[in-house]
Amino acid sequence: MNDRALVFEGIGQDFPAPGQRSKVRVLDGISFDVGHGKFIAVIGPSGCGKSTLLQMAAGLLLPTRGAVHHRGRKITSINTEVGFVPQQAQLFPWKTLAENVELPLLLRGVAANERRERVAHALGSVGLKGFERHFPSQLSGGMQKRGSIARTLVYRPDIILMDEPFGALDAQTRMVMQSDLQTLSMEAGATVVFVTHDITEAVLLADHVIVLSQRPSRLLANIPIDLPRPRNMFEPFRNPGFDAAYDAVWTEFRSQIDTGRVH
Amino acid sequence: MTDTAYHAPAQDTSERRGLAASVARPLQWLLKLLPGIALLLFWQWASGRLIKEIYVSKPTAVAQRLYELFASGEIYPHLWTTGQELVFGYVIGVAGGVIAGYALGRSPRLARIFEPYVMAFYGIPKIALAPLFIIWFGIGMGSKIALASIMVFFLVFYNVFAGVRSVDRELVNLTLIMGANQRQLTYHVFLPAAAPFVMLGMRLAIPYSVIGVIVGEFTSSAQGLGLFIHEASSTYDPAGVFAGIVILLAFVTIANVLAGRLERRLLRWRALSGAGPIDI
Repeated sequence: MNDRALVFEGIGQDFPAPGQRSKVRVLDGISFDVGHGKFIAVIGPSGCGKSTLLQMAAGLLLPTRGAVHHRGRKITSINTEVGFVPQQAQLFPWKTLAENVELPLLLRGVAANERRERVAHALGSVGLKGFERHFPSQLSGGMQKRGSIARTLVYRPDIILMDEPFGALDAQTRMVMQSDLQTLSMEAGATVVFVTHDITEAVLLADHVIVLSQRPSRLLANIPIDLPRPRNMFEPFRNPGFDAAYDAVWTEFRSQIDTGRVH
Repeated sequence: MTDTAYHAPAQDTSERRGLAASVARPLQWLLKLLPGIALLLFWQWASGRLIKEIYVSKPTAVAQRLYELFASGEIYPHLWTTGQELVFGYVIGVAGGVIAGYALGRSPRLARIFEPYVMAFYGIPKIALAPLFIIWFGIGMGSKIALASIMVFFLVFYNVFAGVRSVDRELVNLTLIMGANQRQLTYHVFLPAAAPFVMLGMRLAIPYSVIGVIVGEFTSSAQGLGLFIHEASSTYDPAGVFAGIVILLAFVTIANVLAGRLERRLLRWRALSGAGPIDI
């Protein structure tokens, strides 16, 4: 039990469908474990409920069936031991970058000088030194995303949940961010659950790739990726073994793309 | 770490802007003043030529009258009364609007129960209440303060209500995950997010507080600028009417400047981004 940070156990989720009496089944019997210090990528076609799993791990949503356990404790309310990096950076527009990153520490009652130190360190580690007093509107999309990641890293959450964090970034920024994320998570030994719909991204970043099917979503495969680290994010195909790993994921995933259903 | 960041337009552009401003600002002011001056000149010229002076008076007469009013001290009791009514009415209305708007904005359950009532009361032309308020609160300051504050209340209430409800749910969830309790959530998320709406409501409410007070004084009062204007108009003294109006105008202008200052201070982040609710 101790080596598992997060356990999804037979998760099922129904959402009420507008204008219908019956409910839409989104998730159907999904079970998988997240080991300590592991990087787990969850991929699946759009609308399959990938993000719903993250919301459950954060305690924002209770599953209709099954349960999520964090270090053996069943999650029943907001889980403040996780960090959440959403799709949009979601920095507070009325706070400066430093104030944004400082907020979780402030909320957790960390003393002022320690806050200053940790904010400076977190901003340094994502390469935003010198932008402390900028407001989010004065930063580029990539920098806002870095700020959002720094705001999560700063309080050293037990698990970092990332919901397609790089989806809205341009291709170059994205590669740089992926590379930096790999470095950061290796240094911190962080446990990460990373939702994406990009196979390359999943294979490059993850220790395990969870493949979900279309709605109602079932777990198609839990594929270990044993590529050596650090991996080259800029030239994916240069990584020895990348082809085979990509193929393994793609074989599972392709069946979900060709069916021609409306997502 | 490399980054594709752009630097915020901090130094170089502001210098250029500063240079341009030193030339442009007086010009801007001149352009702003021009229509006003033209109007005053036309008024002065037309009075006695196009329209009888007894109907419209003229700027010099109004200025003369204003000087007399202040020199003799005749206007001070009126000023003092109306000023107090305005300030109290405005402050009570804003405070009530912020508190009620915030409470209903935060609690969907309360909102479901009370919103129809608030909507119904909002629809009442508040002016129609003036005679009733006189009966309830007397002909003193109480009735005017009540009328002004109820007009201010609804404007502020609706803006704050909308502002609080527009707060991004995801941002709230994120803050909860970061470890915020309800009090911290209010202070760090809801209040700053609602601030632009509060400011908008406060600005819109300024002229309404004046309308409330003046209508109240018109209806029945012992002292105040409204009474002064009312008396001037019923004794065929247009210069007096306009003098009273000029004083009210000064009130509104001062209040607007103060609100603008407060807004710039509270919403510094918004001035830098240009995002937020649309001003009217």
